[in-house]
Amino acid sequence: MKPLMLQGHQRAITQIKYNREGDLLFSAAKDSKPNVWWSLNGERLGTFNGHGGVIWCLDVDWQSINLITGGGDSSCRLWDLETGKNIATLKSNSSVRTCNFSYSAYQAAYTTDKAMGHPCEVFVIDTRTIDETVSGQAPILKWEITDSKVTSMIWGSLDETIITGHEAGDLIQWDLRTGKKIHSVKEHTHQITDMQLSRDGTMFVTASKDHTAKLFDTNSLELLKEYKTERPVNSAALSPILDHVVLGGGQDAMEVTTTSTRQGKFDARFFHLVFEEEFGRVKGHFGPINSLAFHPDGKSYASGGEDGYVRVHNFDQSYFDYTFDYNRE
Amino acid sequence: MAKKKGDEKANPAPQSDNEEQNFEEEPDFDDPEDFVEIPEEELLADILEQKPKESDGYENVVVVDGCPQVGPERLEKLQSVINKIFSKFGKIVNEYYPTTENGLTTGYIFLEYSNPQNAAEAVKATNNCKLDKQHTFLVNLFTDFQKYSDIPKEWEPPAPQPFKVQSDLQWYLMDPDAYDQFLVGIGTGVALQVWQNALPEPLLLQERPNWTETYAVWSPLGTYLATFHWRGVALWAGPKFSQFQKFFHPEARFISFSPCENYMVTFSPSGDRGDDKKWIIGDIRTGQEKRSFPPPDEYVTWPIFRWSKDDRFFARIGADVLSVYETPGFGLLDKKSIKIPGIRDFSWSPSDNTLAYWVAEDKDVPARVTLLEIPNRTEVRSKNLFSVADCKIHWQKSGDYLCVKVDRYSKVKKDKIDIKYSGMYYNFEIFHMREKEIPVDSVEIKEPIQAFAWEPVGSKFSIIHGDPANISISFYQVNTGQAPTLLKKFERKPFNHLFWSPSGQFIVLANLGLTGGALEFLDTNDFTIMNVADHYQMSGIEWDPTGRYVVTGVSSLKCKMDCGYYIWSFQGKILRRVMKEGFAQFHWRPRPPTLLSEKQQKEIKKNLKKYYSQFESKDRMRSSKASKELVAKRTEQMKKFTEYRESKIQEWNEQKPRRLELRDYVDTDGLDTDAVNTVEEVIEFFVKEEQTVIE
Repeated sequence: MKPLMLQGHQRAITQIKYNREGDLLFSAAKDSKPNVWWSLNGERLGTFNGHGGVIWCLDVDWQSINLITGGGDSSCRLWDLETGKNIATLKSNSSVRTCNFSYSAYQAAYTTDKAMGHPCEVFVIDTRTIDETVSGQAPILKWEITDSKVTSMIWGSLDETIITGHEAGDLIQWDLRTGKKIHSVKEHTHQITDMQLSRDGTMFVTASKDHTAKLFDTNSLELLKEYKTERPVNSAALSPILDHVVLGGGQDAMEVTTTSTRQGKFDARFFHLVFEEEFGRVKGHFGPINSLAFHPDGKSYASGGEDGYVRVHNFDQSYFDYTFDYNRE
Repeated sequence: MAKKKGDEKANPAPQSDNEEQNFEEEPDFDDPEDFVEIPEEELLADILEQKPKESDGYENVVVVDGCPQVGPERLEKLQSVINKIFSKFGKIVNEYYPTTENGLTTGYIFLEYSNPQNAAEAVKATNNCKLDKQHTFLVNLFTDFQKYSDIPKEWEPPAPQPFKVQSDLQWYLMDPDAYDQFLVGIGTGVALQVWQNALPEPLLLQERPNWTETYAVWSPLGTYLATFHWRGVALWAGPKFSQFQKFFHPEARFISFSPCENYMVTFSPSGDRGDDKKWIIGDIRTGQEKRSFPPPDEYVTWPIFRWSKDDRFFARIGADVLSVYETPGFGLLDKKSIKIPGIRDFSWSPSDNTLAYWVAEDKDVPARVTLLEIPNRTEVRSKNLFSVADCKIHWQKSGDYLCVKVDRYSKVKKDKIDIKYSGMYYNFEIFHMREKEIPVDSVEIKEPIQAFAWEPVGSKFSIIHGDPANISISFYQVNTGQAPTLLKKFERKPFNHLFWSPSGQFIVLANLGLTGGALEFLDTNDFTIMNVADHYQMSGIEWDPTGRYVVTGVSSLKCKMDCGYYIWSFQGKILRRVMKEGFAQFHWRPRPPTLLSEKQQKEIKKNLKKYYSQFESKDRMRSSKASKELVAKRTEQMKKFTEYRESKIQEWNEQKPRRLELRDYVDTDGLDTDAVNTVEEVIEFFVKEEQTVIE
C-alpha cells in the first residue's frame, strides 16, 4: 500500500513515537518544533512551539496527557498534549539527549550530554503534579556518568531500574533506589543509537553504529539475539504481534552527500526475531532512517529519516501470510 | 690462573680454616686438588681470534699465471705492465717474480694486496683475460691452491637424499562432483582463503592469516598457488597446500608462469640493493634459478617474457630486436636475436609456435603485421597497413583466428614533442589461421572502440564501440571465404567490459568502476538477454574455468564500502552474496585443458539427457538435505526461545498486580484490555469533494 508521507519538518527527523493506543504519532526533528499527527491518515494535529534548537528526544505518557521533550537548547520541556502548551521547562547545563516517562508516568528521566565542561548526567524527576513548580524542584535523583556518555535510555520493569546505552557500546542497568549499577554489559563495539522495549517490557532491542541490532533481556541484560547488517543501525523496533524486528539506518549522515541512495542502503529491513534472518526490505527514504516505531496494533509502522520525512507504512496481507519453515509441533 | 666461579664458592670455608691455623706460615700456592685448568680458548676465545696467524695475509695474495717469460733486461717492462693492470684493484704491497736458472721469469708471479677484497676482485676481473695474442692470464687466489690440493683423491658419492613423498598435485581435479575451487584474498596479505564451490554451500578448505605479504595467484593450470614474501616467492600445492617450492628473490612483486607450468618468471622492481638480478626465471620442479636478467632500460609492460604454448621458447622485445630464447638451455635461439627495425609489440599464438608482431610505420615504409614461425623463422604471412597510429594483437584462445585492431588516422600533425592524430577510425584485421595461405578479412568501425573480445571457443567476436554517452555492442561472426557478418547490435547500453564464458556461447556485459554495476547475461546463440542484474561499484568479474558460474566482486583496493563478492549462475541467477570487510581479490582455480577427445566430448553432449536426470536427482537430494538442516536449526531455535518466553511471560503475569498499582488500576496490558476508560469516538475526515452537474 502506498505509504503516508508526513511532511512537516524542515530538517532531519530525530525520533518518532506512537502513544499507547496508537492513534497519535509524535515526531521530533532538528528544527525545534515537535509535531503530533493522526496516525490513521497522516493529518497534522499540531506542533509544540517553544524549544530553541534541535529536539533530540521525546516521550508521551501512557494516558496521553503529557509530552516530554529534550533538545539542544539545554532544556527538557513538559507539554500539555491537549492544548500544546509548554507547562514546565527544566534547564540543564548541556543538551538533553534522552528523555522518557516511567511506566506509571509518576516519574520521568532525562540525560544530558558531556559538553562545555559539564559531565554527562542522569536526572529523575517527580511528575505527579506537572506545572510550573516542577521547574523549580530539584530532581529526586541525579547521578553523573563518568565514562562514555549516554546516547539512549529506557526504563526497566516496574519503575525500579533504568537502562542506559552508551557511546562506547556499553549497556548499564541502574537501581533507582540506590543510584548504583546493577548490571553492565558490553556487547556492542560502537555507539548505541536506540533502545526499544518489547510490548510486555521483558525484552528490548538495541541499535548500534557497529552495524548490528541486538535483543536483550530487560532484567538480566542477557544477550538473546543478534541482527547483522552492513551499515550503521540507527533504530530498531519490535513488532507487538509477530516475531519480527525492523531495523533502520544506513550510511552515516555526514557521508551521505557523497554517495548515491543505491550505495547508502536506506531501506528499512525486517528480520525474524528468533531466526535472525532477513526476510524483507522497504525502500523509500533518500537519507538514513533515524527512528522507527511499530504501531501498537502491529499492522503498520512508521519511519523518520535524515531526509526530513516521516513515512507511515501499512502492511499488506502478504506480510501477515509470510511464514518461515520450521516444525511447530 | 683462573678458577671456575663455582669452585670459589665451594671453597671459602676450608681456606679460612687454614688462615687461622697457620697464620705465620707461608701460604700454600699449590693448586688445590680439585683445581680444573680452563683452556685459554674457553676464556679468551674472542681475543684469540684476533691473534695473528701464520697463514694471515695469504688470502691477499694472487697468483698470476700465463705471463710472458722474459729475461732480466725486459723484466722492468713486464713489471710496469703488470702493475698497470693489477693496481686497478688496489694497492699492490708486495710482488715476486720467480726466475728460472737461466734468468728468465717463470711466467707466473705473486702479487700481494693490502686486503683480501682487492685480491678477490682482481681474480674475478682478470682471470681468463687476454694480455695479448699469445698470453692469457690465469689468475687464482693463493689460498685456492691449498683448497684444491686438499681435495681427496677418492671420490665420495654424495649420500642419497631421503625420498620425499610428493602429495597428489592434481587432487583438486579429482572431485567427483567437479566442484571448482576459488581463492579469496583479504586485505593486503591479511589472510587468504581457499574455498570449494560446493553445493548447496561453498566449503572453506583452507584459511591462513598472513599467508602472503601482498597477493596470491594460481599457476595457469591451477596446480600451484604462488604467494609473495620479502625474501621471494613460495609455491603451495597438494591437498594440504603444503609448501612445494620456494624461490629466493628479494622483494619480488610480479610473477608469470610458462603455460605448461615448467618455469616461472619473477620480477623485483625495487633496485636499490645493488642486485642486478631484476628478472629471474626459475625451474618450478627443482626450484633452481635458470637464468636472470638485469633490469630493463626503460619502462616495459608486464609480462616482458612471453612463452610459446609448449614452454619451448620465450621471447622478449628490445630496441628493434626480438630476442627468442629456447629451453631448457635458456640461451638465445640460434645464438642471436631477430633484427626487426621498429618492432612495437608481439604475441604468441595460444596453439602453435607462431608469433605475431607488428612494426610501426616509418616515413614511407608502411606499418606491417607479420606472422613468424619459430624456430625456423619463416614468415608465414604478413600484411602492410597504412596510416597506422597503433595496433593491438588479439589471438583467439583456440588459436583459430587472430585479430589485429588497427587504430588509423586520416590526418596527422607532428610537432617536436609529440604526434597528434585526428580523424581516427578503426580496422579489425582478421587472420584465418586454419585456412590455406591465411586469408585476411577486415571490419571497419568509425567510432572509438571501448573493448574487443573473441569468443574463446567458436568464431564470434564482440566489440564495444561509440562515445561514452552512446555505447553500442556489436557481435560479428567470422566466416570461411567471406567477410565477417554482423550478427547483432545492441545500442545505448551502459557497458564497458566484455566477459565471454570460457566455453563460448555465453557472455556477460558489464559496467565496471565506481559508478558502474550494471550486468547483462547474454546467450549469443539467439541473442536473448537471460538476465539483467546489478552489483553496485563492482571492480571485477571472473568466470569459473568450466563456464558454469560468474563472480562479480567489489575489491577493497578499489572501493571502501560494501566489499565482497556475488556468485551467479551463467544464466545470471544470483546464488550467493558474500560481504566481507577488506575483501581484496578473487580467483577461480584454473583447470588444465580436458583430456577427452573431441569425439568423446560429442558423445557426452549427445547423452546429456541421461546425465541430466542423474544430476537433477543429486541436486534435489542435496538441497532437500540442506533445507532439512535449516528447518531443524530453526525448530531448535524456536523451541529454545519459546521456553525462554514462557518463563518470562509467567513472571510478567505474576507482576500484574504491581503493574496495576502503578497505573491507577487501569489494565493497559493489551490494546483493548482497558474497557472502562475506552470511549468509542467517531472522527470524520474530509476525504474529497466531488461536484456532479445534474442535467
